[in-house]
Amino acid sequence: MAVQSSDAPPPQDILPHTAAAVRDGEVAPSETHAATEAGHEASGGLPQFEFQWWAGQIFWLLIIFAVLYFLLSRVFLPRLRRVKDERAGTIAAAVETARQVQAEAEGQAETAKVEVEQARAKSRATAAAAKARVTESANARAAEEEAVVNARIAEAEAAIGKTRDAAMSNVSSIAADTTRAIVEKLTGKAATAAETDAAVKGVA
Amino acid sequence: MADPMHQFEVKPVVEIAPVNVPGLGLVDLSITNSTVAMLVAATIVVLFFAMVTASPKVVPGRLQVVGEGMFSFIDDLAVGIIGSQGRAFFPFVFTLFIFILAMNMLGMFTVFTATAQLAVALTFALMTFLLVIIVGFAKNGLGFLKLFAPSGVPWYMLLFVVPIEVISFFLRPVTLSLRLFGNMLGGHVAMKVFAGFIVSLGAVASAGGVAYLAYVAAVLAFGGVLALTALEFLVAFLQAFVFAVLTCVYLNDAVHAGDH
Repeated sequence: MAVQSSDAPPPQDILPHTAAAVRDGEVAPSETHAATEAGHEASGGLPQFEFQWWAGQIFWLLIIFAVLYFLLSRVFLPRLRRVKDERAGTIAAAVETARQVQAEAEGQAETAKVEVEQARAKSRATAAAAKARVTESANARAAEEEAVVNARIAEAEAAIGKTRDAAMSNVSSIAADTTRAIVEKLTGKAATAAETDAAVKGVA
Repeated sequence: MADPMHQFEVKPVVEIAPVNVPGLGLVDLSITNSTVAMLVAATIVVLFFAMVTASPKVVPGRLQVVGEGMFSFIDDLAVGIIGSQGRAFFPFVFTLFIFILAMNMLGMFTVFTATAQLAVALTFALMTFLLVIIVGFAKNGLGFLKLFAPSGVPWYMLLFVVPIEVISFFLRPVTLSLRLFGNMLGGHVAMKVFAGFIVSLGAVASAGGVAYLAYVAAVLAFGGVLALTALEFLVAFLQAFVFAVLTCVYLNDAVHAGDH
Protein backbone atom coordinates (compact mmCIF):
# COMPACT_ATOMS: atom_id res chain seq x y z
CA MET A 1 0.00 0.00 0.00
CA ALA A 2 2.87 2.37 0.82
CA VAL A 3 4.49 1.61 -2.56
CA GLN A 4 1.22 2.30 -4.31
CA SER A 5 0.89 5.72 -2.72
CA SER A 6 4.29 6.77 -4.07
CA ASP A 7 3.13 5.61 -7.50
CA ALA A 8 0.23 8.02 -7.47
CA PRO A 9 0.48 10.65 -10.24
CA PRO A 10 1.73 14.08 -9.15
CA PRO A 11 -1.45 16.14 -9.72
CA GLN A 12 -3.28 13.81 -7.37
CA ASP A 13 -0.70 14.02 -4.61
CA ILE A 14 -2.22 17.13 -3.10
CA LEU A 15 -3.57 15.15 -0.19
CA PRO A 16 -1.13 12.26 0.22
CA HIS A 17 -1.96 11.72 3.87
CA THR A 18 -5.69 11.56 3.34
CA ALA A 19 -5.21 9.28 0.38
CA ALA A 20 -3.02 6.92 2.34
CA ALA A 21 -5.41 6.95 5.25
CA VAL A 22 -8.36 6.23 3.03
CA ARG A 23 -6.54 3.48 1.22
CA ASP A 24 -5.67 1.91 4.53
CA GLY A 25 -9.29 2.29 5.40
CA GLU A 26 -10.41 0.61 2.20
CA VAL A 27 -8.99 -2.66 3.36
CA ALA A 28 -11.56 -2.66 6.14
CA PRO A 29 -15.01 -2.89 4.56
CA SER A 30 -16.63 -1.27 7.57
CA GLU A 31 -15.04 2.06 6.66
CA THR A 32 -17.59 4.83 6.56
CA HIS A 33 -19.02 5.86 3.27
CA ALA A 34 -18.18 9.54 3.26
CA ALA A 35 -14.50 9.15 4.07
CA THR A 36 -13.88 6.68 1.29
CA GLU A 37 -15.75 8.72 -1.24
CA ALA A 38 -13.63 11.73 -0.48
CA GLY A 39 -10.54 9.59 -0.78
CA HIS A 40 -11.02 7.50 -3.92
CA GLU A 41 -10.56 10.51 -6.17
CA ALA A 42 -6.97 10.54 -5.08
CA SER A 43 -6.51 6.80 -5.07
CA GLY A 44 -4.10 5.33 -7.62
CA GLY A 45 -5.48 1.78 -7.26
CA LEU A 46 -8.20 0.17 -9.31
CA PRO A 47 -11.65 1.56 -8.52
CA GLN A 48 -12.87 -2.02 -8.88
CA PHE A 49 -11.24 -2.90 -5.60
CA GLU A 50 -13.29 -0.48 -3.56
CA PHE A 51 -15.05 -3.23 -1.73
CA GLN A 52 -17.68 -0.96 -0.22
CA TRP A 53 -19.52 -1.04 -3.58
CA TRP A 54 -19.34 -4.80 -4.01
CA ALA A 55 -22.32 -5.77 -1.90
CA GLY A 56 -24.64 -3.35 -3.69
CA GLN A 57 -23.45 -4.41 -7.15
CA ILE A 58 -23.75 -8.11 -6.36
CA PHE A 59 -27.16 -7.65 -4.72
CA TRP A 60 -28.66 -5.71 -7.64
CA LEU A 61 -26.94 -7.90 -10.21
CA LEU A 62 -28.50 -11.03 -8.72
CA ILE A 63 -31.94 -9.43 -8.65
CA ILE A 64 -31.68 -8.12 -12.22
CA PHE A 65 -30.29 -11.44 -13.42
CA ALA A 66 -33.11 -13.33 -11.72
CA VAL A 67 -35.75 -11.09 -13.31
CA LEU A 68 -34.07 -11.31 -16.70
CA TYR A 69 -33.76 -15.09 -16.38
CA PHE A 70 -37.42 -15.39 -15.44
CA LEU A 71 -38.58 -13.21 -18.35
CA LEU A 72 -36.37 -14.94 -20.88
CA SER A 73 -36.98 -18.52 -19.77
CA ARG A 74 -40.74 -18.16 -19.19
CA VAL A 75 -41.79 -15.69 -21.86
CA PHE A 76 -39.37 -14.86 -24.65
CA LEU A 77 -37.44 -18.06 -25.22
CA PRO A 78 -40.56 -20.31 -25.31
CA ARG A 79 -42.07 -17.88 -27.84
CA LEU A 80 -38.98 -18.10 -30.02
CA ARG A 81 -38.88 -21.88 -29.60
CA ARG A 82 -42.52 -22.11 -30.68
CA VAL A 83 -41.89 -20.00 -33.79
CA LYS A 84 -38.87 -22.08 -34.70
CA ASP A 85 -40.74 -25.35 -34.13
CA GLU A 86 -43.64 -24.01 -36.14
CA ARG A 87 -41.32 -23.08 -38.96
CA ALA A 88 -39.60 -26.45 -38.80
CA GLY A 89 -43.06 -28.07 -38.91
CA THR A 90 -44.12 -25.95 -41.87
CA ILE A 91 -40.95 -26.76 -43.75
CA ALA A 92 -41.23 -30.46 -42.91
CA ALA A 93 -44.88 -30.50 -44.03
CA ALA A 94 -44.02 -28.68 -47.25
CA VAL A 95 -41.17 -31.06 -47.96
CA GLU A 96 -43.46 -34.01 -47.19
CA THR A 97 -46.13 -32.64 -49.56
CA ALA A 98 -43.55 -32.05 -52.25
CA ARG A 99 -42.28 -35.60 -51.80
CA GLN A 100 -45.81 -36.97 -52.07
CA VAL A 101 -46.53 -34.95 -55.19
CA GLN A 102 -43.29 -36.13 -56.66
CA ALA A 103 -44.11 -39.75 -55.85
CA GLU A 104 -47.55 -39.27 -57.38
CA ALA A 105 -46.06 -37.75 -60.52
CA GLU A 106 -43.60 -40.60 -60.69
CA GLY A 107 -46.47 -43.08 -60.40
CA GLN A 108 -48.34 -41.31 -63.14
CA ALA A 109 -45.27 -41.28 -65.32
CA GLU A 110 -44.91 -45.01 -64.67
CA THR A 111 -48.53 -45.62 -65.62
CA ALA A 112 -48.18 -43.52 -68.75
CA LYS A 113 -45.05 -45.44 -69.65
CA VAL A 114 -46.86 -48.75 -69.21
CA GLU A 115 -49.75 -47.45 -71.30
CA VAL A 116 -47.44 -46.32 -74.06
CA GLU A 117 -45.73 -49.70 -73.93
CA GLN A 118 -49.07 -51.46 -74.18
CA ALA A 119 -50.21 -49.27 -77.08
CA ARG A 120 -46.97 -49.91 -78.83
CA ALA A 121 -47.32 -53.67 -78.37
CA LYS A 122 -50.89 -53.50 -79.55
CA SER A 123 -50.00 -51.55 -82.68
CA ARG A 124 -47.15 -53.94 -83.30
CA ALA A 125 -49.56 -56.88 -83.04
CA THR A 126 -52.04 -55.14 -85.34
CA ALA A 127 -49.31 -54.46 -87.87
CA ALA A 128 -48.13 -58.05 -87.70
CA ALA A 129 -51.69 -59.35 -88.16
CA ALA A 130 -52.28 -57.04 -91.13
CA LYS A 131 -49.02 -58.14 -92.65
CA ALA A 132 -49.91 -61.79 -92.16
CA ARG A 133 -53.33 -61.27 -93.67
CA VAL A 134 -51.93 -59.47 -96.68
CA THR A 135 -49.27 -62.12 -97.19
CA GLU A 136 -51.85 -64.86 -96.88
CA SER A 137 -54.23 -63.33 -99.43
CA ALA A 138 -51.34 -62.62 -101.77
CA ASN A 139 -50.19 -66.22 -101.46
CA ALA A 140 -53.72 -67.50 -102.04
CA ARG A 141 -54.12 -65.35 -105.14
CA ALA A 142 -50.74 -66.44 -106.41
CA ALA A 143 -51.68 -70.09 -105.87
CA GLU A 144 -55.02 -69.60 -107.64
CA GLU A 145 -53.38 -67.95 -110.60
CA GLU A 146 -50.74 -70.62 -110.71
CA ALA A 147 -53.45 -73.28 -110.77
CA VAL A 148 -55.20 -71.51 -113.68
CA VAL A 149 -51.90 -71.17 -115.52
CA ASN A 150 -51.03 -74.80 -114.82
CA ALA A 151 -54.42 -75.92 -116.15
CA ARG A 152 -53.89 -73.91 -119.31
CA ILE A 153 -50.39 -75.32 -119.67
CA ALA A 154 -51.76 -78.85 -119.30
CA GLU A 155 -54.49 -78.07 -121.87
CA ALA A 156 -51.95 -76.70 -124.29
CA GLU A 157 -49.67 -79.67 -123.71
CA ALA A 158 -52.62 -82.00 -124.42
CA ALA A 159 -53.43 -80.12 -127.65
CA ILE A 160 -49.77 -80.27 -128.69
CA GLY A 161 -49.71 -83.99 -127.92
CA LYS A 162 -52.86 -84.55 -129.99
CA THR A 163 -51.46 -82.55 -132.89
CA ARG A 164 -48.19 -84.43 -132.66
CA ASP A 165 -50.01 -87.81 -132.60
CA ALA A 166 -52.08 -86.78 -135.60
CA ALA A 167 -48.93 -85.64 -137.33
CA MET A 168 -47.16 -88.86 -136.42
CA SER A 169 -50.04 -90.99 -137.80
CA ASN A 170 -50.00 -88.92 -140.97
CA VAL A 171 -46.25 -89.52 -141.23
CA SER A 172 -46.71 -93.33 -141.35
CA SER A 173 -49.51 -93.11 -143.98
CA ILE A 174 -47.40 -90.66 -146.03
CA ALA A 175 -44.42 -92.97 -145.62
CA ALA A 176 -46.58 -95.92 -146.78
CA ASP A 177 -47.87 -93.93 -149.77
CA THR A 178 -44.32 -92.81 -150.62
CA THR A 179 -43.03 -96.35 -150.25
CA ARG A 180 -45.77 -97.68 -152.56
CA ALA A 181 -45.01 -95.02 -155.14
CA ILE A 182 -41.27 -95.75 -154.94
CA VAL A 183 -41.83 -99.50 -155.13
CA GLU A 184 -44.18 -99.08 -158.18
CA LYS A 185 -41.66 -96.91 -159.90
CA LEU A 186 -38.75 -99.19 -159.21
CA THR A 187 -40.39 -102.54 -159.70
CA GLY A 188 -43.25 -101.66 -161.90
CA LYS A 189 -45.62 -103.54 -159.85
CA ALA A 190 -47.78 -102.09 -157.20
CA ALA A 191 -47.16 -103.13 -153.64
CA THR A 192 -50.09 -103.99 -151.46
CA ALA A 193 -51.07 -101.71 -148.69
CA ALA A 194 -50.38 -104.40 -146.09
CA GLU A 195 -46.82 -104.83 -147.34
CA THR A 196 -46.00 -101.11 -147.26
CA ASP A 197 -47.53 -100.67 -143.82
CA ALA A 198 -45.45 -103.53 -142.51
CA ALA A 199 -42.34 -102.08 -144.13
CA VAL A 200 -42.99 -98.63 -142.70
CA LYS A 201 -43.63 -100.13 -139.29
CA GLY A 202 -40.43 -102.10 -139.51
CA VAL A 203 -38.49 -98.92 -140.21
CA ALA A 204 -40.26 -97.01 -137.54
CA MET B 1 -10.43 13.00 -17.69
CA ALA B 2 -6.73 12.26 -17.92
CA ASP B 3 -7.04 9.42 -15.45
CA PRO B 4 -7.98 6.31 -17.48
CA MET B 5 -9.28 4.67 -14.32
CA HIS B 6 -11.84 7.38 -13.72
CA GLN B 7 -14.37 5.60 -15.94
CA PHE B 8 -14.46 2.61 -13.61
CA GLU B 9 -15.37 4.51 -10.46
CA VAL B 10 -18.59 3.43 -8.87
CA LYS B 11 -20.70 6.32 -7.66
CA PRO B 12 -24.02 6.19 -5.91
CA VAL B 13 -26.98 7.48 -7.89
CA VAL B 14 -29.74 6.76 -5.43
CA GLU B 15 -28.51 6.59 -1.85
CA ILE B 16 -30.05 3.88 0.27
CA ALA B 17 -29.32 3.79 3.96
CA PRO B 18 -26.89 0.96 4.79
CA VAL B 19 -28.65 -2.26 5.69
CA ASN B 20 -27.51 -4.25 8.68
CA VAL B 21 -27.00 -7.81 7.41
CA PRO B 22 -26.32 -10.32 10.19
CA GLY B 23 -22.78 -11.61 9.84
CA LEU B 24 -21.71 -8.93 7.35
CA GLY B 25 -22.42 -5.80 9.34
CA LEU B 26 -23.60 -2.64 7.61
CA VAL B 27 -23.97 -3.17 3.87
CA ASP B 28 -24.43 -0.32 1.41
CA LEU B 29 -27.03 -1.32 -1.17
CA SER B 30 -27.23 2.11 -2.81
CA ILE B 31 -28.14 2.16 -6.48
CA THR B 32 -24.90 3.11 -8.22
CA ASN B 33 -23.96 3.92 -11.80
CA SER B 34 -22.97 0.24 -12.03
CA THR B 35 -26.48 -0.82 -11.04
CA VAL B 36 -27.95 1.63 -13.54
CA ALA B 37 -25.77 0.17 -16.30
CA MET B 38 -26.98 -3.35 -15.44
CA LEU B 39 -30.56 -2.16 -15.35
CA VAL B 40 -30.29 -0.37 -18.70
CA ALA B 41 -28.63 -3.40 -20.31
CA ALA B 42 -31.31 -5.74 -18.95
CA THR B 43 -34.06 -3.35 -20.06
CA ILE B 44 -32.63 -3.20 -23.59
CA VAL B 45 -32.56 -7.00 -23.68
CA VAL B 46 -36.15 -7.24 -22.49
CA LEU B 47 -37.36 -4.56 -24.92
CA PHE B 48 -35.51 -6.20 -27.78
CA PHE B 49 -37.02 -9.61 -27.16
CA ALA B 50 -40.44 -8.12 -26.50
CA MET B 51 -40.23 -6.52 -29.97
CA VAL B 52 -38.85 -9.66 -31.60
CA THR B 53 -41.48 -11.96 -30.14
CA ALA B 54 -44.43 -9.55 -30.17
CA SER B 55 -45.82 -10.92 -33.41
CA PRO B 56 -43.47 -13.68 -34.48
CA LYS B 57 -43.84 -14.78 -38.09
CA VAL B 58 -43.00 -18.09 -39.67
CA VAL B 59 -41.23 -16.03 -42.32
CA PRO B 60 -39.23 -13.71 -40.03
CA GLY B 61 -38.61 -9.99 -40.37
CA ARG B 62 -35.17 -8.45 -39.94
CA LEU B 63 -35.36 -7.98 -36.17
CA GLN B 64 -36.74 -11.47 -35.70
CA VAL B 65 -33.86 -12.90 -37.74
CA VAL B 66 -31.39 -11.25 -35.35
CA GLY B 67 -33.25 -12.47 -32.25
CA GLU B 68 -33.68 -15.98 -33.60
CA GLY B 69 -30.07 -15.95 -34.73
CA MET B 70 -28.89 -15.38 -31.17
CA PHE B 71 -31.39 -17.95 -29.93
CA SER B 72 -30.15 -20.60 -32.37
CA PHE B 73 -26.53 -19.64 -31.75
CA ILE B 74 -26.71 -20.38 -28.02
CA ASP B 75 -29.17 -23.24 -28.49
CA ASP B 76 -26.79 -25.01 -30.87
CA LEU B 77 -23.92 -24.23 -28.53
CA ALA B 78 -25.62 -25.67 -25.43
CA VAL B 79 -26.92 -28.78 -27.22
CA GLY B 80 -23.67 -29.20 -29.15
CA ILE B 81 -21.46 -29.12 -26.07
CA ILE B 82 -23.70 -30.60 -23.36
CA GLY B 83 -25.76 -32.92 -25.55
CA SER B 84 -29.48 -33.56 -25.35
CA GLN B 85 -29.54 -32.50 -21.68
CA GLY B 86 -28.25 -29.07 -22.75
CA ARG B 87 -31.82 -27.91 -23.40
CA ALA B 88 -32.38 -27.70 -19.64
CA PHE B 89 -29.48 -25.25 -19.22
CA PHE B 90 -30.14 -23.28 -22.36
CA PRO B 91 -32.15 -20.47 -20.65
CA PHE B 92 -29.38 -19.98 -18.07
CA VAL B 93 -26.60 -19.91 -20.67
CA PHE B 94 -28.65 -17.66 -22.90
CA THR B 95 -29.40 -15.21 -20.09
CA LEU B 96 -25.71 -15.10 -19.15
CA PHE B 97 -24.68 -14.56 -22.77
CA ILE B 98 -27.22 -11.91 -23.64
CA PHE B 99 -26.83 -10.02 -20.34
CA ILE B 100 -23.02 -9.94 -20.55
CA LEU B 101 -23.21 -9.02 -24.23
CA ALA B 102 -25.66 -6.20 -23.47
CA MET B 103 -23.47 -4.80 -20.68
CA ASN B 104 -20.32 -5.08 -22.83
CA MET B 105 -22.00 -3.33 -25.74
CA LEU B 106 -23.51 -0.70 -23.48
CA GLY B 107 -19.98 0.02 -22.28
CA MET B 108 -19.01 0.74 -25.89
CA PHE B 109 -21.69 3.42 -26.23
CA THR B 110 -21.90 4.92 -22.73
CA VAL B 111 -19.49 5.88 -19.98
CA PHE B 112 -19.79 2.85 -17.76
CA THR B 113 -19.04 -0.84 -18.38
CA ALA B 114 -20.58 -2.98 -15.66
CA THR B 115 -18.68 -6.09 -16.77
CA ALA B 116 -15.41 -4.23 -16.15
CA GLN B 117 -16.32 -4.39 -12.46
CA LEU B 118 -14.70 -7.37 -10.78
CA ALA B 119 -17.71 -7.71 -8.48
CA VAL B 120 -19.97 -8.23 -11.49
CA ALA B 121 -17.69 -10.63 -13.36
CA LEU B 122 -17.03 -12.61 -10.19
CA THR B 123 -20.74 -12.89 -9.42
CA PHE B 124 -21.41 -14.35 -12.86
CA ALA B 125 -18.50 -16.75 -12.49
CA LEU B 126 -19.60 -17.87 -9.02
CA MET B 127 -23.15 -18.39 -10.26
CA THR B 128 -21.84 -20.73 -12.96
CA PHE B 129 -19.49 -22.43 -10.50
CA LEU B 130 -22.22 -23.06 -7.94
CA LEU B 131 -24.60 -24.29 -10.63
CA VAL B 132 -21.94 -26.72 -11.85
CA ILE B 133 -21.42 -28.06 -8.32
CA ILE B 134 -25.16 -28.36 -7.62
CA VAL B 135 -25.93 -30.00 -10.98
CA GLY B 136 -22.86 -32.22 -10.66
CA PHE B 137 -23.89 -33.67 -7.31
CA ALA B 138 -27.60 -33.76 -8.20
CA LYS B 139 -27.00 -35.75 -11.41
CA ASN B 140 -24.11 -37.97 -10.36
CA GLY B 141 -24.16 -38.00 -6.57
CA LEU B 142 -20.67 -38.78 -5.31
CA GLY B 143 -19.86 -39.93 -8.86
CA PHE B 144 -19.27 -36.25 -9.57
CA LEU B 145 -15.93 -36.64 -7.76
CA LYS B 146 -14.78 -38.86 -10.65
CA LEU B 147 -14.26 -35.55 -12.43
CA PHE B 148 -11.05 -35.22 -10.44
CA ALA B 149 -9.81 -38.71 -11.34
CA PRO B 150 -9.81 -39.12 -15.12
CA SER B 151 -10.25 -42.69 -16.27
CA GLY B 152 -7.34 -44.54 -17.84
CA VAL B 153 -4.74 -42.88 -15.66
CA PRO B 154 -2.48 -45.27 -13.71
CA TRP B 155 -2.86 -45.03 -9.90
CA TYR B 156 0.58 -43.54 -9.28
CA MET B 157 -0.17 -40.78 -11.77
CA LEU B 158 -3.41 -40.03 -9.94
CA LEU B 159 -1.28 -38.78 -7.03
CA PHE B 160 -0.29 -35.88 -9.25
CA VAL B 161 -3.36 -35.63 -11.46
CA VAL B 162 -5.97 -35.42 -8.72
CA PRO B 163 -4.50 -32.37 -6.92
CA ILE B 164 -4.00 -30.62 -10.26
CA GLU B 165 -7.61 -31.37 -11.28
CA VAL B 166 -8.92 -30.16 -7.92
CA ILE B 167 -6.94 -26.93 -8.08
CA SER B 168 -7.95 -26.26 -11.68
CA PHE B 169 -11.57 -26.90 -10.77
CA PHE B 170 -11.54 -24.41 -7.94
CA LEU B 171 -9.66 -21.87 -10.06
CA ARG B 172 -12.46 -21.92 -12.63
CA PRO B 173 -14.48 -19.06 -11.12
CA VAL B 174 -11.27 -17.03 -10.83
CA THR B 175 -10.19 -17.56 -14.43
CA LEU B 176 -13.74 -17.14 -15.69
CA SER B 177 -14.22 -13.82 -13.92
CA LEU B 178 -10.71 -12.45 -14.51
CA ARG B 179 -10.95 -13.19 -18.23
CA LEU B 180 -14.09 -11.11 -18.60
CA PHE B 181 -13.03 -8.42 -16.14
CA GLY B 182 -9.49 -8.14 -17.53
CA ASN B 183 -10.56 -7.95 -21.15
CA MET B 184 -13.13 -5.27 -20.55
CA LEU B 185 -10.88 -3.30 -18.21
CA GLY B 186 -7.83 -3.52 -20.46
CA GLY B 187 -9.68 -2.58 -23.62
CA HIS B 188 -11.34 0.44 -22.12
CA VAL B 189 -8.12 1.63 -20.46
CA ALA B 190 -6.24 1.29 -23.74
CA MET B 191 -8.89 3.28 -25.59
CA LYS B 192 -8.84 5.97 -22.94
CA VAL B 193 -5.05 6.18 -22.94
CA PHE B 194 -4.89 6.55 -26.72
CA ALA B 195 -7.66 9.13 -26.62
CA GLY B 196 -5.71 10.99 -23.92
CA PHE B 197 -2.66 11.01 -26.23
CA ILE B 198 -4.63 12.96 -28.83
CA VAL B 199 -5.41 15.73 -26.36
CA SER B 200 -1.95 15.94 -24.81
CA LEU B 201 -0.21 15.80 -28.20
CA GLY B 202 -2.52 18.56 -29.39
CA ALA B 203 -1.47 20.61 -26.37
CA VAL B 204 2.19 20.02 -27.24
CA ALA B 205 1.57 21.08 -30.85
CA SER B 206 0.02 24.35 -29.73
CA ALA B 207 3.56 25.54 -28.88
CA GLY B 208 4.06 26.02 -32.64
CA GLY B 209 7.18 25.53 -34.82
CA VAL B 210 8.69 22.07 -34.82
CA ALA B 211 6.10 21.05 -32.25
CA TYR B 212 3.50 20.97 -35.07
CA LEU B 213 4.93 17.50 -35.79
CA ALA B 214 3.01 16.40 -32.70
CA TYR B 215 -0.14 16.69 -34.83
CA VAL B 216 1.16 13.75 -36.89
CA ALA B 217 1.50 11.70 -33.74
CA ALA B 218 -1.95 12.86 -32.64
CA VAL B 219 -3.43 11.61 -35.93
CA LEU B 220 -1.67 8.28 -35.38
CA ALA B 221 -3.14 8.11 -31.88
CA PHE B 222 -6.56 8.83 -33.36
CA GLY B 223 -6.07 5.94 -35.77
CA GLY B 224 -5.16 3.83 -32.76
CA VAL B 225 -8.41 4.78 -31.02
CA LEU B 226 -10.38 3.89 -34.16
CA ALA B 227 -8.71 0.50 -34.45
CA LEU B 228 -9.10 -0.19 -30.73
CA THR B 229 -12.78 0.72 -30.87
CA ALA B 230 -13.35 -1.79 -33.65
CA LEU B 231 -11.35 -4.38 -31.72
CA GLU B 232 -13.31 -3.68 -28.55
CA PHE B 233 -16.61 -4.35 -30.32
CA LEU B 234 -15.20 -7.72 -31.28
CA VAL B 235 -13.94 -8.31 -27.74
CA ALA B 236 -17.32 -7.29 -26.29
CA PHE B 237 -19.01 -10.03 -28.32
CA LEU B 238 -16.19 -12.52 -27.96
CA GLN B 239 -16.04 -12.32 -24.17
CA ALA B 240 -19.79 -12.90 -23.86
CA PHE B 241 -19.41 -15.83 -26.25
CA VAL B 242 -16.40 -17.25 -24.42
CA PHE B 243 -18.25 -16.99 -21.11
CA ALA B 244 -21.19 -18.87 -22.60
CA VAL B 245 -18.96 -21.54 -24.15
CA LEU B 246 -17.04 -22.12 -20.93
CA THR B 247 -20.27 -22.24 -18.95
CA CYS B 248 -21.46 -24.96 -21.34
CA VAL B 249 -18.17 -26.83 -21.06
CA TYR B 250 -18.28 -26.74 -17.25
CA LEU B 251 -21.94 -27.78 -17.21
CA ASN B 252 -21.05 -30.64 -19.54
CA ASP B 253 -18.50 -31.80 -16.94
CA ALA B 254 -21.19 -31.63 -14.29
CA VAL B 255 -23.76 -33.53 -16.36
CA HIS B 256 -21.43 -36.23 -17.65
CA ALA B 257 -18.96 -36.57 -14.76
CA GLY B 258 -20.25 -40.04 -13.90
CA ASP B 259 -19.81 -41.30 -17.48
CA HIS B 260 -16.02 -41.35 -17.33
